[in-house]
Amino acid sequence: MNTSSEKPLWQLFIEGDKNAFSSLFKTYYSQLYSYGLKISSDQFITEDCLQSFFIYLHKNRRNLGEVNNVKSYLFISFRRAVLKSLKKERLFTSFEESLESSQSFGFSPEELKIEQEISNTKNTTLVILLNSLSTRQREVVYLKYYSGLSIEDTAEVMDISYQSVLNTLQKAFTKLRSEILDHEISAVLKKT
Amino acid sequence: MVSLLMKTIFMSKQNLSLLEILIDDISFVNWAKNQNQNDVAFWNNWIEKHPDKIETVFNAKAIVLGIQFDKTKLSESKIERELSHVLAQLEPEKNSPKSKKITSKAFKYIAITAVLVLMVTFGYSFLPTNTTVTHKTVFGEIIDLKLPDGTSVVLNGNSEISYDKTSPRNINLSGEAYFKVKSIPSTKAKFWVNTKDLKVEVFGTQFHVSTRDNKTGVLLDEGSIELLLDDGTTQKMIPGELVSYSKDDKAITHDKVTQDLSYSLWREGTYIFNNTTVYEVMKNVEQAYGMKTEFIDEELKDQKLTGGIPNQNLKICLSAIEKSTGTRIVVKDKRLLIFKN
Repeated sequence: MNTSSEKPLWQLFIEGDKNAFSSLFKTYYSQLYSYGLKISSDQFITEDCLQSFFIYLHKNRRNLGEVNNVKSYLFISFRRAVLKSLKKERLFTSFEESLESSQSFGFSPEELKIEQEISNTKNTTLVILLNSLSTRQREVVYLKYYSGLSIEDTAEVMDISYQSVLNTLQKAFTKLRSEILDHEISAVLKKT
Repeated sequence: MVSLLMKTIFMSKQNLSLLEILIDDISFVNWAKNQNQNDVAFWNNWIEKHPDKIETVFNAKAIVLGIQFDKTKLSESKIERELSHVLAQLEPEKNSPKSKKITSKAFKYIAITAVLVLMVTFGYSFLPTNTTVTHKTVFGEIIDLKLPDGTSVVLNGNSEISYDKTSPRNINLSGEAYFKVKSIPSTKAKFWVNTKDLKVEVFGTQFHVSTRDNKTGVLLDEGSIELLLDDGTTQKMIPGELVSYSKDDKAITHDKVTQDLSYSLWREGTYIFNNTTVYEVMKNVEQAYGMKTEFIDEELKDQKLTGGIPNQNLKICLSAIEKSTGTRIVVKDKRLLIFKN
């Protein structure tokens, strides 16, 4: 769904149309679920939050303000909801703390396509490299390449500037590239 | 297009960085993806003339190519089910007692600790319905879980637990986990952990189960548990005891463990070793990160190590081992080569 085709749907939802609500739910449940699971690493918290989140949306639909991009709006608000609930659950004092001290955005080899354009490294290795990035770098990678958000939307969701998303991406790939290179070199050395 | 783009690049004294321009440029994206011969030729030529920009160019290329994910989608029926839950709660506009899962109430735990280590599939298969809940960790990841019945589980790296939603006190495990089982005095409901080799039966305790090394090890901290082996016999365990069993050779071993054992401490993110050989230590690292160890200098195997090794970051983990043993560990592909320093 692109942004323009969603606006009327969103409008219908605001007006209380149950079908519009269901349609939004079905379109975004899976994506938001994966995102929540990546943040919390906890299926129950994620499911719980997602339920309450949609109920909240429906209840407060008239007070949600102007929504230009439905997808990034949902990602932003749901992210906040999950972090809030983690904060409660794990007794962290701030959102940042609950993100930093958790194992958020860990990737597993099964989540990667076999063919990676960026390298020929095995996915088990690539995953270790990805997981060695900072939490913020992993979240940017997740939102951009897994959720398919633009850099602008990623910035909005993470509540940081466009420039910091770009810098974060650049740092992440500088690190990945150099480590992939190390791996490839040592693999070659090993063979000879 | 090319000339337009050249203009953009050289006229962009404004705020745009080269990186920003590149990742939004169709011609550059074509070069990165090796898609259009003209663009490929143009950019190869451009790079040759601007060797100082090469870092930025390759970073931009990496950002354009990105990481390809194989996205998992929830099943339609799962989404429908969740939707109907939510819809049901929308109807009465006024009342709002939402179904909340029990989270952090103070439970009385009887202490059970178990470690199961085994890199194999479960002996217990379940029906292929999607009511199975699975929690899985990647290498180097440790997660805290709360099961629906209130039982806490700490799941070590490269491990998996699963259970059917209808019986959340009957868990399958491969890998390594620590369980703090919530006792239910009113019904005396049992709690089971199934591994390929055996079944652990408990009422409410803390124990540690590990299924690595092709056998299952269970370590009981407190309380009492019973092991149901696949040959039909049962074994009662007493606190402080470590029992290992493999269904392959039917061998059962009982060990009395002393306090400073390495077993249960991984859940704080550290492996504790007490006069352990480097060989044993590396076994732990292999399990946690899916690597293979090669001792280039064989005699290093028997060197002893005492202390805590962080287990959530391979780099830090290896440098800790290097420091405390005076060895050098080189990561090559998925192998850890150990040299004398």
